[in-house]
Amino acid sequence: MGLFYALMAVGLAMIFGILRIVNFAHGEFFMVGAYAYALTAMKLGINPWVALVLAAVGGAFLGIIIEKLLMRPLYQGYASWSIVKDEYAVVVTFALSLFLIHFVDKVVGPSPFMGPSLMSTQRIAIGPIMLNGQKIISAGISISLLCGLALFIKKSLWGRQIQAVAQNRFGSSLAGIDPVKTTSIIFAISGMLAALSGALMAPLMNPAPDIGSFPAIKSFIIVVLGGIGSIWGSMFAALLLGVSESFFAVYISYDYRDAFGLFILVAVLIFRPHGLAGQKGRGA
Amino acid sequence: MKVEPLLRIDGISKRFGGNQAVDHVSFDVPHGIILGLIGPNGSGKTTVLNMLSGELFPDEGITYLEGSPITRLSPSQLAHLGVIRMFQMTRVFGRLSAFDNLLIAGRAMGLTAAEASTRAQSLVQELTLEHVQYLDAGQLSGGQKKLLEFGMCFMCPPKIALLDEPFAAVHPVMRETMSRFIQSRNQSGQTFLLVSHDMPIVKSLCHESICMNTGKIISQGPTRSVLEDPNVIEAYLGGDHE
Amino acid sequence: MSQIENLWSRRLARDLKCLLLLCALMCFVPLLDLSPYTLGILIVGFYFALMALAWNLLAGFTGQFSMAPAAFSMIGGYFTALLNFHLGATLWIGIPAAIIGSALLGFLLGATVLRLKGPYLSLTTLAFAEIARVFIGNSHEFTRGDQGLNVPTLMDDRIAYYYFFLALVILMGSLIFLLMRSKYGGYLLAIRDDADAAESRGIPVVRFKLLAFTISSAMCGFAGCMYGTFSQLVSPEMGLLQQTGLIISMVVIGGIGSITGPVLGALLVYLSSEWLRDIGNIQLIVFALLVMIFARFFRTGLWGIFLEIYARLKSKKHN
Repeated sequence: MGLFYALMAVGLAMIFGILRIVNFAHGEFFMVGAYAYALTAMKLGINPWVALVLAAVGGAFLGIIIEKLLMRPLYQGYASWSIVKDEYAVVVTFALSLFLIHFVDKVVGPSPFMGPSLMSTQRIAIGPIMLNGQKIISAGISISLLCGLALFIKKSLWGRQIQAVAQNRFGSSLAGIDPVKTTSIIFAISGMLAALSGALMAPLMNPAPDIGSFPAIKSFIIVVLGGIGSIWGSMFAALLLGVSESFFAVYISYDYRDAFGLFILVAVLIFRPHGLAGQKGRGA
Repeated sequence: MKVEPLLRIDGISKRFGGNQAVDHVSFDVPHGIILGLIGPNGSGKTTVLNMLSGELFPDEGITYLEGSPITRLSPSQLAHLGVIRMFQMTRVFGRLSAFDNLLIAGRAMGLTAAEASTRAQSLVQELTLEHVQYLDAGQLSGGQKKLLEFGMCFMCPPKIALLDEPFAAVHPVMRETMSRFIQSRNQSGQTFLLVSHDMPIVKSLCHESICMNTGKIISQGPTRSVLEDPNVIEAYLGGDHE
Repeated sequence: MSQIENLWSRRLARDLKCLLLLCALMCFVPLLDLSPYTLGILIVGFYFALMALAWNLLAGFTGQFSMAPAAFSMIGGYFTALLNFHLGATLWIGIPAAIIGSALLGFLLGATVLRLKGPYLSLTTLAFAEIARVFIGNSHEFTRGDQGLNVPTLMDDRIAYYYFFLALVILMGSLIFLLMRSKYGGYLLAIRDDADAAESRGIPVVRFKLLAFTISSAMCGFAGCMYGTFSQLVSPEMGLLQQTGLIISMVVIGGIGSITGPVLGALLVYLSSEWLRDIGNIQLIVFALLVMIFARFFRTGLWGIFLEIYARLKSKKHN
């Protein structure tokens, strides 16, 4: 479970950490990915692997569109604002999230089917542990994607541009890097990762328009836990959350399992606000 | 007979992680002086200013205002005691008119509505902001915002005004207006502590100066002598600073 | 329009005048001989107007974008309902309890989010709202969970209730006007625009953030309690995030940072939501879309647009 969280959270970490924009609609990328996968695979009968790719592309595409339409005011210095930057992001992405959820609900309807598994065998027994074939494959894909992402950021041209923008937006623009394009790329990657994790999860759950909400909240928790701006931190936190959640669910209370994550979020924000950028400590 | 200084800083230090930003700094600020605080980048002067204005607390050491310790007070408490600070990056209340900015600053310091209004009107005149006084503060030019911030700080004449690089990136004409403002206030007894990189301004405005480098004071006294002090010259020319 | 009109005191005065005008118009509506159902919709619209005013106080005037207004409305309603359910307390006790209880919780929440900026504040208040809702929804012993609780009613005549709620809107709007006209209102606005600078100018930011939270939460709780007496039922659904989304839409579309804006937005949005629901349940799609459009292009909302038009007309008359 931790790996799914990681996949999704990383995308959010990028937007949040690098661009300092909060994206309340992150969960909806997840949902769109799941739907895209399920629909293209079932209705159009496309090979599940191809459908997976399509979902990823769809997510990237959605990310770019959103960036173009909604996010520009955040960094192109629009003067005389009624709604200040951070809060604009909150309001707009929250509205976007509501819009996507209800739009999909209206247009597509809660789909009564799950997406097809990537593998035919459902259950694999490894020693005493029963594993689900789908989960294994998804885990594998997640791991390779995360590694691929890490490599991409470290090595590739775009990746290094992202790093530059993350450190100093203005400075990197002077160096000839186009921050707007880089931002688009970040949104695209974020959307793609979230959509992909949605697509991978699709066979395991009943797609409904609001399935993105919980994963989104988990992603936020992870990003905050792991420290803003730190991608490795997010990955680590994701695993931590996945494991501790399962413990909690089994040993303490199943109903309140999701509230558990929220408690953690609040506790972290209050007591250990890593990376609350710009917050000058009063020392004492 | 010894006259109590307005501000006494006694052995303050501040460490950030592995970096000793300020190292046992002590100095006095006498009444009515314009004191310059200079030093190369990273010398700790802004950190000292932050500790004086309540943004940071020193790890050790005490600051006194007219004999009373003020080391751990918040910025708003300090403001009420007469310690006012201007930021390097101008901060005004962008969605309110410039005049409203002044009014609020005045009311916050305890003026009545009528007093605040009168004071604001005269400040607007003095700062040559009449033609923009009813515009939203966010729409003012950079220099105008700076003047506005000046105005806000002086709605109630403070005991001491801490200015953080006030002339950075300011139009020469604005600079003139600001200099004149500072000097005329100073002639009425207003004390200033000025952090600046701008040598000509420091030379022309500041009676005395303190130069810091790597967290310590390396020279203090009349500005002219400080600027001619070989230690100071070397601090600026030599050494790596970020 | 001469520039001096941009002075806050004048802006507020214009704002209140328009609100009173709007409410005066609403006085005549019952004369149209509407069905009880339609009257009910208008009354709920007024409830949302109160909620919108409360959220705007916190977000539009103080810059704290809380995601918890609906939760406080639910909490307020439940204070009244629980006291009635478990102890048989009448509304004389129930209503003040709702106000005080919400104020207290609002104070605590405010204290929790003091140091947090923008998105963190929203996240934390969101977490709080969800935890509260889940808690109330799952405590079957204590709150009867999803079934909700009954609340005694204030009066039987629906038309009387209409005027009662209208009076509440006028009252709340006026109270907010008085607050925002005073120096304390100026402090809130300063905190909204730049909290650190406000601190340096001598404004005790912590105190006033807490004040804003407390007042706003108390208003929400009071509104929730009032709604409860009208619908005679409170349920965890009152605290759904969706409801907060609705409230935010109303304020953004109506005009954030004003008094008339939220009220106008609340009435228009709620009335259209009924109409849109008949068309095919697309109300949230439309509103969410409108919010994005308004936030992106018309940041001052309908109220701002209206002011612009009025100003243009006035200057045309002068020329």
